[in-house]
Amino acid sequence: MKEKLKRVNDFEWMLPKGSRDKMRVDARIIANKPVMDAIEDAAVQQLTNVACLPGILEPVVGLPDMHWGYGLPMGAVSAFDAEEGVISAGLCGFDINCGINSVRTNLTAKDVRPKMKELIETLFRNIPCGVGSKGKLRLTLDQLDEVFTRGVNWAVDNGYGVKDDIEATEERGCMEGADPSKVSDLAKRRGLSQLGTLGAGNHFLEVQAVSDIYDKRFAGRYGINDREQVTLMVHCGSRGLGHQVATDYLKIQEEAVKKYRIWLPDPQLVCAPVNSKEGQDYFAAMKCAVNYSFTNRMVMTHWIRECFEKVFGTSWEDMDMHTVYAIAHNIVKTEDHTVNGKKRKVYVHRKGATRAFPDIPAIIAGTMGTASYILKGTERAMEKTFGSTCHGAGRAMSRHAAVKRFWGDKVRDELLKKGIVSRSTHPKVLAEESPDAYKDVESVIESVHGAGVSLKVARFVPLGVAKG
Amino acid sequence: MPGFRIVDDLTSDVMFEAYGENLGQVFENAAKAMFSIICKLEKVSGKKSLEVEVRGKSREELMINWLQELIGLVDTEGMFFSRFEIPEIDEGHLVAKIHGEEITPEKGETVVKAVTYYKFKFEKTPKGYVVRVSLDI
Repeated sequence: MKEKLKRVNDFEWMLPKGSRDKMRVDARIIANKPVMDAIEDAAVQQLTNVACLPGILEPVVGLPDMHWGYGLPMGAVSAFDAEEGVISAGLCGFDINCGINSVRTNLTAKDVRPKMKELIETLFRNIPCGVGSKGKLRLTLDQLDEVFTRGVNWAVDNGYGVKDDIEATEERGCMEGADPSKVSDLAKRRGLSQLGTLGAGNHFLEVQAVSDIYDKRFAGRYGINDREQVTLMVHCGSRGLGHQVATDYLKIQEEAVKKYRIWLPDPQLVCAPVNSKEGQDYFAAMKCAVNYSFTNRMVMTHWIRECFEKVFGTSWEDMDMHTVYAIAHNIVKTEDHTVNGKKRKVYVHRKGATRAFPDIPAIIAGTMGTASYILKGTERAMEKTFGSTCHGAGRAMSRHAAVKRFWGDKVRDELLKKGIVSRSTHPKVLAEESPDAYKDVESVIESVHGAGVSLKVARFVPLGVAKG
Repeated sequence: MPGFRIVDDLTSDVMFEAYGENLGQVFENAAKAMFSIICKLEKVSGKKSLEVEVRGKSREELMINWLQELIGLVDTEGMFFSRFEIPEIDEGHLVAKIHGEEITPEKGETVVKAVTYYKFKFEKTPKGYVVRVSLDI
């Protein structure tokens, strides 16, 4: 399929709608040449499949971190008309509202480095992580429903976080319209004990230092002022609860496809008309998982502040540990976009993609050994990518292949040589998440910056990382 | 012949093939394959047991539902499982006794988010059954 790509400029490629039978719209990929060369053909093919769905709006977007995913690549955006379109559990992904919280401090790398081992160990011990990890919270079903409907507001009312954190979170940490009655009992039971847990896999908690500031004024607005300033990022999602909501609704939408006679080029693209019961039920359940996930990261942020207080003997307020910004990168939202010159309501599915609205921060996580970024969204993103940008470096190698190629202990030693302290439940996760198993984050960022769909604000390098 | 093997495919998470001379065996081996990804199978004892009953409209759906049920139990029971007995099975229903222990993080490996239909294949051959399953991790 890649041979059918047409180069638009150094950072943009088009896949015209004639590239395969039944494509209704073009696909657009944001990538420079080296990144495009690294993108799998199968992932490009997946974009063309989505371009066949009813009510799809032009274009289906592939971002430079795209890699093959279930139905649609991770690192992709699909937008649908609010009347004629579909909503799809598969196009959002299994880890609903996987996302990132970025927190600043007024400490410097020089202050923190001597205590980094103690800090990472304290974080590792106090933020529950690993497969099936249970949190320190024990919620009742009523409390869980409250988390679903109130999101981060629930956290703040219960002493996890402050009002400023709400303001610094996408959707103010709570999507409206979440309906707990649309979430299965099994999903709820999986969610009860996991609020405030990091999980495993590519989820992490990273202490970083600012290495470069490209846009001083914008960075300053979010309290990022100096090189060597210490910040941190938490990358996590909605845990078993979100996985179960996705699984439940994939089954429901499998039936919906038959009921509404929707032709699918790939059975993984099960969906339901946006205004059908199956479509809206999913949307209401997904919002519960979205709000749960915002709350999950907020609760962990609170515990991270406590860990810093313990290690540095100062209050978190005195260390200025405020949320810089918190974003979701697996989500479905209704937004207004201009399509063919007309403003219209759109169901935007961002799967491994970050909102990039003008002058709003987008947080992009690199890998354990490489840089992360804060970008700012642009008008160009509104024109080109339904207001979206990339979400990370994007895998270049399967976890299985990474484990065969890398040795966890060696990865840890190599990180340490670069001055990065790492701690994980077992070495294998370090091998799976080896920086070499990912694409080059710098090329990914150069691609979105070059295309103008989001602009560089600040760059962060890792000092220490804790993983499940 | 081993009961299962891991297949490498794209950057797509994990795929495995499981085998069995009969239906019960292929379901047992598929569960083992999945838990070899979730945890250090050989280190998980079978001191705690549960009984589960799963249904599906076909043997394919029964397999997906079986594995999905086990993923859910990891969270709801807080357990890893290492041994699976299926005394009762037909193409639409099974009763299993599953053995494992409470989770200790050090024995964990990877969170399996879901069982998918990607390149899913469940064949009956003259030698028995072969199932191919992709897991989203």
